[in-house]
Amino acid sequence: MSFLTVRDLSHSYRGARRMWGRAPDLPVLQSLSFDLAAGERVGIVGMSGSGKSTLLRCLMAMGRPQSGEIRCNGRLVVMGRPASLRWYRRVVQYVPQDPVASLEPRMTVAQLVAEPLRRLRIDCDPQSRAQEALESVGLGSQYLSRRPDELSGGQAQRVAIARAIAMRPAFLMTDEPVSGLDMTVRAQVVQVLRDLSQTHGTGIVMVAHDISVVAALCSRTMVMEHGRIVEDRPTSEILKAPHHPHTRQLLEAAPPLVAAA
Amino acid sequence: MMRITRAAIPALSRGITLIAVMVLIGLLPWISGRDPALSILRARMGDQNPTPETLAAIRQQLGLALGPLDHLWNWLAGVFRGDFGTSWISGAPVLPGLVQALGVSLGLMAAALAVALFVAVALCWPTMRRGLRGRDTRSSGVVAACLTALPEFMLSAVLLVVFAVWLRWFPPYGWHGAANVVLPALALGLPAGGLLGRLLENAIAATFHERWIATWAVAGFGKGQIARAVLRRSLPALMPQIGMIIVAMTGGAIAVEQVFSIPGLGRAVLGAASAQDLPALQAGILLLLVNALFIGIVANLIRIALLGRALEMGAMPVPQVLQAAPSRRLWIVPGVVSFLMLVLVVAGLPRDPFTSEYIRLQPPGLLLPLGADGLGRDVLARVAHGAVSTIGMAIVVTAASFVIGIGMGLMPRLAIGPIEVTKATPPTIAALIVTAAMGPSAVGAVVAVSAVAWAPLAAHTAALVTETRAQPHVQIAPVLGVGPLQLLPRSILPAITGPVLRHAMLRLPGNALALAALGFLGLGPKPPSPDWGLILADGLPYVERAPFAVLAPVAALALMSVLGVSLAALSRR
Repeated sequence: MSFLTVRDLSHSYRGARRMWGRAPDLPVLQSLSFDLAAGERVGIVGMSGSGKSTLLRCLMAMGRPQSGEIRCNGRLVVMGRPASLRWYRRVVQYVPQDPVASLEPRMTVAQLVAEPLRRLRIDCDPQSRAQEALESVGLGSQYLSRRPDELSGGQAQRVAIARAIAMRPAFLMTDEPVSGLDMTVRAQVVQVLRDLSQTHGTGIVMVAHDISVVAALCSRTMVMEHGRIVEDRPTSEILKAPHHPHTRQLLEAAPPLVAAA
Repeated sequence: MMRITRAAIPALSRGITLIAVMVLIGLLPWISGRDPALSILRARMGDQNPTPETLAAIRQQLGLALGPLDHLWNWLAGVFRGDFGTSWISGAPVLPGLVQALGVSLGLMAAALAVALFVAVALCWPTMRRGLRGRDTRSSGVVAACLTALPEFMLSAVLLVVFAVWLRWFPPYGWHGAANVVLPALALGLPAGGLLGRLLENAIAATFHERWIATWAVAGFGKGQIARAVLRRSLPALMPQIGMIIVAMTGGAIAVEQVFSIPGLGRAVLGAASAQDLPALQAGILLLLVNALFIGIVANLIRIALLGRALEMGAMPVPQVLQAAPSRRLWIVPGVVSFLMLVLVVAGLPRDPFTSEYIRLQPPGLLLPLGADGLGRDVLARVAHGAVSTIGMAIVVTAASFVIGIGMGLMPRLAIGPIEVTKATPPTIAALIVTAAMGPSAVGAVVAVSAVAWAPLAAHTAALVTETRAQPHVQIAPVLGVGPLQLLPRSILPAITGPVLRHAMLRLPGNALALAALGFLGLGPKPPSPDWGLILADGLPYVERAPFAVLAPVAALALMSVLGVSLAALSRR
């Protein structure tokens, strides 16, 4: 049985207001349906505006889709009060796009990583669990009292990952987790995610506009264009023989290190 | 369903606020706790002792023996019929006289607006010319800053003393011909023109830095066409502020009318306040508020007309803010002014401001540096103690408006009605309402100024909250299990407290001047309190024999104004 099921997910944004009459609706998600199996590593690629980020917001219950439903282990996931979603936050966590900006600037690294453990009422000692999570991403105790502005981009991203995995979630949703980082740090962060998946069996969804990053980590790839999934197959097959013309475009745009990875 | 209710909140907020203001004004006689029969008896029969029988007779005669709700209902029903009640003093309907007074006030406003426009154009002219010649458009804005620094009631007093009393060029009071208009129009128009000119000059300078100017010039557009386009580009963003300047003029007009004895609406309302003639006061406050609201609405309509489709399409380019290089020299003026103020306070505080121990109007001497006032009191002591009390009150106002501003700014959709009405209410009108309800007092003045001083802070808070909520570390909060209520102490309050507190502190001198203006008009602390406005009002009748009794508080007020303007200039860096 699949871990997460998505059925007929649709969403549109209100366009610019016209002088008279209603603003037009701009569809961003058009009746998406797919399943994610436990422990799967899935990449979602597409150009800017293809609907990747809106899909991720819906998957994280940070936005309410206009129609369709998302179920986790059969249980309906609906955006709502924090208490009503606590069960879901414990099993599905999130690593946002901009690592430095996504960390509250007034909190220390230790507080940042321990915060969701307290808020989501996870039965553990938040301090030691936070320290453990930070060690697993390669950040020692000397980082505990630092604040986000004292971290490099790669360190901040690892803090964000530590914050997400401290809860030991079953699935990790990541939004362009390496796009702001330079090449060596990219490899480190991808390695952290791969280790996590291999040692704990954590499933990973990685959204990226660059197909080469997805190729380095994910066994399955979904290609999005204009709010639709135009191709959804094992990554190795897509790399070898892309079916959809848009996938070919994305592959041509990717830097040549795809093969190397 | 959710979307409809959310969209309805601002309209609902505006409606409820207007109803609340009407109810407040309608209930004023009842809130004030004053027995109208007693007021009427005093006004009509002088010293006659009130006996229960005579009072009951008057109540019966006017149908006054009603509860608050009946009273409110009668008043509201009357207002919708165009009947604003009869004066407790004269027994005549209040409306005709007030409408006539409104006509006089509008005439004064028109003349003052002409002065303001002339001043503003004169201030912008050099910037526009430099811009059209392709030179650097930045200017110091010193002249404009000096003009802005003059509160109307102080400028009125100075103009009256210099041009009417000493030089005798213009009549000192009345409203009979063109000669009567000059000084009041200058007193009201100069500060407004200074502010208007400064805003416009900054906007024009910023517009000249936009790229399309060069494109147009290369394409061969004439200077006249470019100048018109620059104005059209610069004005819309300023319209809300221009509206607020004109609204503020309606408040300033009250002081100007009082100083020059102009039979306008402001003076009529002040008279009604001091005579406790509540029907006239209610009608007058209502007219002043309607006038101010009307100006705000017209300014907004002009803005929409100027913007045209750019507003509809959401295609408005964001004007860039010109930033002069930050400089330590900017601190010199506020530093020197604060030091002078400190010297004044230290020199005068040990002296006694209340006892009449000197000869009346004694000229300045070694032991009495600023002379004595009309009652033989030490002017230096009074101004110094006045500084402490006025600034002390201003600190209370600043703290109160900070707290209210943050609270209101956290729920901007709900607070939109109160914010708009408050912006349309100059402190003087708020003080009239408070005075009508509880009589003139220092506490009343603090309440009145606090009641309107929070609006800009609320607007600032709302803008900062929107900005903070858009930041990634706040967007991600739900995923971490942080609810909307927990977000407030965790992220939002820490992010907004600092900037809003600094903004509130910068407004402290302005609050002090507003309080002094209320004291001057008799809407603040009562004699013999050493309040700056009161000292100035006390000194005016003796200005020829004892100029120091006027010049000392004027100098203190001027220092305060300069402090306010120079601090405001700092805040824009």
